[in-house]
Amino acid sequence: MIVSKKDLPNFLDKLISEYQVFAPVRKDTFTVFKQICSGKDAVLAAGNTKLPVKELFFPQSEKLYSYSVTEAGAKLEATLDDQQKIVFGVRPCDAKSLVLLDHVFNNDKYQDPYYLTRRENTILVGIGCNSPASTCFCTSVNGGPFDTNGLDILLVDTGDAYVVEVVSDKGKALAEKAGFAAASDADQAAAAKAKEDAVVTCQVNLDGLKAKLDVNFYDPIWDKIHEKCLGCGACTYLCPTCHCFDIVDDAVDCNGCRVRNWDSCAFPLFTLHGSGHNPRTSNKERYRNRIMHKFKYFVDNNNEIACVGCGRCIKNCPVNMDIRVVLEDVRGSEARLDS
Amino acid sequence: MMKNPYLPLPMKLVKNFTETEDKLIHTFTLQFLSEEDEKSFPYMPGQFAEVCVFGKGEAPFGIASSPNEPGFLKFSVAKVGVVSTALHMMEEGSTVGVRGPLGNYYPVEELKGKNLVIIGGGFAFTTLRSLATYMMDPVRRGDYGNLTVIYGARNPGLLLYKEELAAWEQNPDINLITTIDRAVDGWNGRVGFIPAVTEEVAPSSENSYAIICGPPVMIKFTMPVLEKLGFPPERIIMSLENRMKCGIGMCGRCNVGGKYVCKDGPVFTRAQLNELPNEY
Amino acid sequence: MQKLAAQIKDAAKKLLEDKKVDLVVGFAEGSLPLRGTPLFARTPEEAEKLTWSRGCENNLANYLRKREGKVAVVAKGCDARSIVALVKENQINRDNLYIIGVPCTGMIDRKKVEKLLEGREVLAIEDIGDAVVLKGKDFSETVALADLMHNSCLDCRYGNPVLYDELVGELLPEKGEDDFAEIKAFEAKTTAERRAYLAQEFSKCIRCYACRNACPVCYCTECFVDCTTPEWIGKSAADVQDNILFQAVRVFHSAGRCADCGACERACPMGINLRLLTRKLVKDVKELFNAEAGVNLDDKAALASFTADDPEPFLVKE
Repeated sequence: MIVSKKDLPNFLDKLISEYQVFAPVRKDTFTVFKQICSGKDAVLAAGNTKLPVKELFFPQSEKLYSYSVTEAGAKLEATLDDQQKIVFGVRPCDAKSLVLLDHVFNNDKYQDPYYLTRRENTILVGIGCNSPASTCFCTSVNGGPFDTNGLDILLVDTGDAYVVEVVSDKGKALAEKAGFAAASDADQAAAAKAKEDAVVTCQVNLDGLKAKLDVNFYDPIWDKIHEKCLGCGACTYLCPTCHCFDIVDDAVDCNGCRVRNWDSCAFPLFTLHGSGHNPRTSNKERYRNRIMHKFKYFVDNNNEIACVGCGRCIKNCPVNMDIRVVLEDVRGSEARLDS
Repeated sequence: MMKNPYLPLPMKLVKNFTETEDKLIHTFTLQFLSEEDEKSFPYMPGQFAEVCVFGKGEAPFGIASSPNEPGFLKFSVAKVGVVSTALHMMEEGSTVGVRGPLGNYYPVEELKGKNLVIIGGGFAFTTLRSLATYMMDPVRRGDYGNLTVIYGARNPGLLLYKEELAAWEQNPDINLITTIDRAVDGWNGRVGFIPAVTEEVAPSSENSYAIICGPPVMIKFTMPVLEKLGFPPERIIMSLENRMKCGIGMCGRCNVGGKYVCKDGPVFTRAQLNELPNEY
Repeated sequence: MQKLAAQIKDAAKKLLEDKKVDLVVGFAEGSLPLRGTPLFARTPEEAEKLTWSRGCENNLANYLRKREGKVAVVAKGCDARSIVALVKENQINRDNLYIIGVPCTGMIDRKKVEKLLEGREVLAIEDIGDAVVLKGKDFSETVALADLMHNSCLDCRYGNPVLYDELVGELLPEKGEDDFAEIKAFEAKTTAERRAYLAQEFSKCIRCYACRNACPVCYCTECFVDCTTPEWIGKSAADVQDNILFQAVRVFHSAGRCADCGACERACPMGINLRLLTRKLVKDVKELFNAEAGVNLDDKAALASFTADDPEPFLVKE
């Protein structure tokens, strides 16, 4: 199937009448996912959005429930966002991040109804990356510029049109409803060519990294690696797979709501005990935890690396703390594997 | 419809009892509002719950009551943060929220037929009380071997559950040894730190498990004693505390290595902890 | 620039070889086009990595507080002013710090590069003196340096380090007074206009605290935003008023101590115009107290001293 770029805004307008449609829109020098009222507002050519797609499923700040407590008792009210949504223009790395987050919010014991309800009611229409950025390394972490993992539909930019690839049943239903034209052999060939031409130039060698992380928790390499890190939350907040959060009350007396906000393992308060004891005392322990979490603990628990290679942390770190360099330093450190 | 693990169960605070002489630890008795509520909260010794003071927030506390004490839950809480301070000031009759039960529990099945040495220090005696009470329930006392409890505090006034301890003293089903750090008038129990007292009492490690909770320094010095007595790491059971928020393995802060204290713990064996980093 | 880099390297290596210092804090070449990244060199070999370019934008004074041992630092004008401010606050022991001063003609703002290229990715930036060449996959553009420099660099009157033990390169000619034109323009707006502008800017804030953590003079053991008893401020980034309050308190707290280095704005991943607020305070401190932060070791910090004739326009009509 195929949809021409000229027809795309009309197609989106049709969807808007039926769904809440989210797409990248321009904000200053970058793009962010926003609900659009007109198909014209979607900006599909601008690479990755500043904030990852996770914010649509796990917002930076979200009310879990409201409460009012009187002498008669407590009244609690939770609302789940079950609006039918389409997220349009998701990059494959971001789509994969949701597959990873599913492990967190639907773990071996508990389900997070807020995240999962949004996931259930959302269709993800992705767009492949014809020109991956120099900071992209998706292919090093089991992804790719046209990877369909997590998507319902993938669009492949062939110049004047998008060739539509249906990935899931949800995607199939949407495509049928949309009534896209059939793609010709030439269109299919153009899509194949676009995929072939899209080269992720940056390769991060992760061979042996996990084996090293399995044994190097106390390695002196950690004394050096974090040194320039400022301990801010920029990388974690812009990371599509970072999922840590805090729960706070926003209330006057006994009436208010319980809210969850993004939190970051980079902050000292994150692990501080009431007694004043802190299991992760300094930046060293906190930075180590971030790397360990993504490349060891998550792998141990879910058999997947919790990094999709989107490059946001690389582009946005205030001190150019580049995760590719960090991983290479860790991998290349001389720690004996038998220590 | 999936269960919403963030929603607390409203409960009635029926007793706010000042447990220790320094007044810093109160024991709260919370009553279920209905039988249905109680049914929705099936717990075991060692589990914890997020107790919430509406308007202030939530904090995790080990459950001090035992499943064989129906109708209510008990928590003994030290006044350290926003939520615990608010709890301390709460009037009886108020409504609080409880979310749980959370975490794993002491391996009561595995412990069947074994002798047990329960070692507690300071106010970290809450879930140990739950465990001892559970095992002393006449219907299951026969399932377990000898029950030795070594419990210490800085001074007699800081021991929790004083009335119960007095009853245990008289009970042939349990061998209770209490100790305080320094001698005071009127104290008939032992004097000395937990590690030294454990060494003196020298419970046999044969067919035995040790279950130990207390301040880090107590744990640190008691471990070598247990080793010397012949307890292998697989038969030393501990309960960890880390800062928690969600209690369900999602918010990311209580991890020790790849394990979440809230979801995979708080109960671990020494052997399991030996495999994990020391971030607790 | 290459010459400066070589001189910095030589100076650092000599200091480490002679064991005059245990550590040199400088810049190494980073992983992005024309991007310097902080480097901590403890051996002459590690010092080989030191460099200098128009990408050495971080304020290294941030890494010098409460350090053990003898430390050398590569300091451009703004770093040196912050160092002076921190020496006065007892955060840096001057006797244990060796300053390799580097006169600075300005650093390049990657956000301006991004804006200019409108989504095209820059793969290399070549510094050709008064201009830079931006190169990408299918393009090469030459752009005047002034168009790409950080605003803080354009406003800077202290490219020459105010304090150093050793200078590499040559001192630059003095510049005229700062006119604070954009601050005056903002002051001239109506309250409603100002409020609307701030609300719009701070709707971008994600409360990552990169601004605070990048700031050399933001070093409170417990920042007021982190305090829970009492909770001074909401933690959620969704509340724009709280975001503004956070920044307002931060800039008030750094009044008379802020060297206008722009580290906060450079660190902000969301591109918020933070210097609008910091510079308003810099301007006020200058007008009210005739003081500038960190320009010499002798003056007391504006708000760390009191005289009976201190201006009090908020309180007394004069």
